[in-house]
Amino acid sequence: MEKHLDRVMDEVVSRAGVFGCVFVDRQGLCLGAKGKTSTESAGLIAAIAEQAAKLEPHSGDPIIKLESDNKDCLIFRPTSTGTVTAAVYKNKIQ
Amino acid sequence: MVEEVKNNLQELLSKVSGLYGVVITDRDGVHLLKVNSDKAPEHAMRPNFISTFGLAVDQGSKLGLGKTNTLICVYSQYQVIQMNKLPLIVTFIASDTCNTGHILAIEKQLDPIVSNLALAVAES
Repeated sequence: MEKHLDRVMDEVVSRAGVFGCVFVDRQGLCLGAKGKTSTESAGLIAAIAEQAAKLEPHSGDPIIKLESDNKDCLIFRPTSTGTVTAAVYKNKIQ
Repeated sequence: MVEEVKNNLQELLSKVSGLYGVVITDRDGVHLLKVNSDKAPEHAMRPNFISTFGLAVDQGSKLGLGKTNTLICVYSQYQVIQMNKLPLIVTFIASDTCNTGHILAIEKQLDPIVSNLALAVAES
């Protein structure tokens, strides 16, 4: 299972502009992280996804985008694949 | 100072959904600070339960993995997370579904509070 997750993370990080990703489980514990990311943010990522989902409970799974001046953080928790939350960090395209 | 710290901890309780209580004790489980909601189970905050963390830390050190920092116990309805800040112990009591990672991320926020209290304990 870890090998598979590792492969997915490698694939995500190899995409253009992506410089890191974190995968988090239902309990907010880090499953894996690649690139320039911190495993310490795992709990917060899960909390953000959980709270955002409460805003519109009947509108499907939300994708949360946190924007800063030159970086973006995308957070997604698809309910169809269980309760794994993914966060992808990207450099902003100028 | 105590009131200020209590307010900070109370704020934490409202920020983390499912978190029922935070207790800061000495190594014997004697309460220094306690902030909890009505849902917090009283028996999880008793000194005789909290002080068992000291024993767990001692046993954990035998694993050869270095100093025990955090102990997470998940029960059917609750979870108890204890942090090693010896001479102090920080105990979080939460629901079993609460975001464990979020509680672990709080550790850094608590450091200034805990170090101030540890100083006070060491002096007395």
